[in-house]
Amino acid sequence: MSFLIAQSLINGVILGTLYLLMAIGFTLAFGVMRIVNFAHGEFYMIGAFCALIGVTWLGLPYPVTLALTIVFAILMGAVVERLVFRPFRNDELSGMIASLGLAMILQHGALILFGPDPQAFPAMVSGVFKWGALIVPKSRALALGIGLVILLIFYLFLMHTRHGRALRALVQDQEVAAVFGVRLEIMYPLGLGLGIALAAVAGGLMAPLFGVSPFIGATPLLKAFIVVILGGLGSIPGAALAAILLGLIESFTSSFISASAADIVTFALVIGVLLVRPAGLLGRAEA
Amino acid sequence: MKRTTILAAASALAMVATGAMAQETLKIGALVTMSGAGASWGNGMKRAAELAAEDVNAAGGLEVGGTSYQVEIIAYDDSYKANEAVTAANRLVFEDKVKYIIGTVGSAPILAIQPITEENGVITMTLGFTAQALGADKQYTFRPNPTTAEVAQPQIDWIVRTQDVKTVGALFPKDETGEAIAKDLASAYEQAGATLAATEFFERDRVDFIPLLTRIIAQGVDAIELDGNSPVTAGQIVQQARDLGFEGVIIRTGGPATQEIVNVAGEAATEGMFVHSAFDPGLASAKAYEERYVETYNEPMNGFSPFFYDGTKMLFQAMQDAGTVEDTEAVKTAYENISDYDGILGTMNWTGGERYGIAHQLDSPFYIARVTGGQEEIVARCTSAGCE
Repeated sequence: MSFLIAQSLINGVILGTLYLLMAIGFTLAFGVMRIVNFAHGEFYMIGAFCALIGVTWLGLPYPVTLALTIVFAILMGAVVERLVFRPFRNDELSGMIASLGLAMILQHGALILFGPDPQAFPAMVSGVFKWGALIVPKSRALALGIGLVILLIFYLFLMHTRHGRALRALVQDQEVAAVFGVRLEIMYPLGLGLGIALAAVAGGLMAPLFGVSPFIGATPLLKAFIVVILGGLGSIPGAALAAILLGLIESFTSSFISASAADIVTFALVIGVLLVRPAGLLGRAEA
Repeated sequence: MKRTTILAAASALAMVATGAMAQETLKIGALVTMSGAGASWGNGMKRAAELAAEDVNAAGGLEVGGTSYQVEIIAYDDSYKANEAVTAANRLVFEDKVKYIIGTVGSAPILAIQPITEENGVITMTLGFTAQALGADKQYTFRPNPTTAEVAQPQIDWIVRTQDVKTVGALFPKDETGEAIAKDLASAYEQAGATLAATEFFERDRVDFIPLLTRIIAQGVDAIELDGNSPVTAGQIVQQARDLGFEGVIIRTGGPATQEIVNVAGEAATEGMFVHSAFDPGLASAKAYEERYVETYNEPMNGFSPFFYDGTKMLFQAMQDAGTVEDTEAVKTAYENISDYDGILGTMNWTGGERYGIAHQLDSPFYIARVTGGQEEIVARCTSAGCE
């Protein structure tokens, strides 16, 4: 029994970190641009395809592929901001609907380009780390390690650089930030680009674990949504807390009760939190 | 003299013209899964129908009762969902006016469309594994592929006997197909002297099996059974079970999917896996079909595809035997009466009278293969009586 508890704990933390990567990008895009980006899951899918193309078609090393994926995703984010979201900057509802349309275009574009069948992604590492009876698959440890490094870099960028501060200022108050000289024309594309890059790199990290197909974006989008609602829209510490919580809940209920119980418990928790704290665990209530 | 020549030429022309006019179109529906996890099955079925149609079209059309038909395949996607299958079935039956449907892939979809197809005398060929798909009250539904119920027992007997398996764990999708297979397998393992000790059910779109596998492996099972899962899901289960350090036997009792599983999980993870195979690469006709499939579609062939190729060819023969494409009752009877059909996978017959109450279930030879270096190697040859 203690084996199962410890193993579930490990599984849950790994899962939570992966959800966090998805959720932070999602909440950042919302915080900066006030847009609920339903296409976020499709950028996860695009990131996975980028990794597939880099590793299996071009034969690039995995870290190089991930770095290229991030650069490509930031650029793509900037383009998407300019073409799709800028016209809806002060219109949240239309922006949300535009993002739904964008999601469909991206998914079906991938379907036309790559076909519906899941593509094989070669394992980057194989084997397991073992401590007594406890097991961590090396493939997951790798995803976890790279994910943590990326989150750390992102944290340092956000806290200790000029652009990072500008982004945080935008999240707190758009008008005041603009008055203090934050250049919206740069920060909006950058904010969305970074958010999308986090989703894309999550896709690249998950590809060796879960495979690649045009339909893989839906589940991570749902998880990111749950995490962000739980943590509070726009709150990054809230997302971190909620992501780990969600990972642990899923892992423990799946291991001790059943897979469908995990979904029930998760959504019951979402409803419960929304009833008690409508702004989420660490969210700010809208004035 | 000249006049007679002209007359002869004119009448010859007229004959050619009537001949051309008698060339009609026979529409056949393909209601299969073309997106999502079941897409590799669905595409395999649709393409089987297309290749069978290509054969008869290339030969100048399908001759039935003095009329020559060009066969056209109309394909719709059901995404493995019952509600979408019903929409597509309505469209096929009432708008496209088809009388023959290749499909569906899933069990829930076939049960959902049967009220439409049976009522309107539309012949369907389903892959769906549920026992309820066939029955005395479902005169127009056929299953041209063996299911777990047909192949499980002899294979499981052989594996339990030769691999010294005592306890088995398995994951099944939580739907009609999964429940039916779980029940069949539990009794098959019990009869073979082993137990299906740990079972888990999950939603079909799940991709992370680590928590469920942790639970199964913690119970110390000797083997993991993959039957009932889509090829891609099965591949993910294999990969993640090996990731968790599972070293026991992995078995796939039913449903050919080896190629896709190897694609997803990789050669190392699948080494030594035991799989059901309906496909003997030593058989020239089977090999030729696989090559043609790969050449045409540039993708590995799904193992169910040859069954639906044979099934469609048998249907064409039934139309010719009945001398009609309109009267599906006559075609259905002719289809039932085909015996010892010489298909690309060997000799085919209809069976299932005892099990389902109607002999609409295909009976064909099958094999147990061991996966070595990503390829199937036949280790035992089976009939419904047993494996050697």
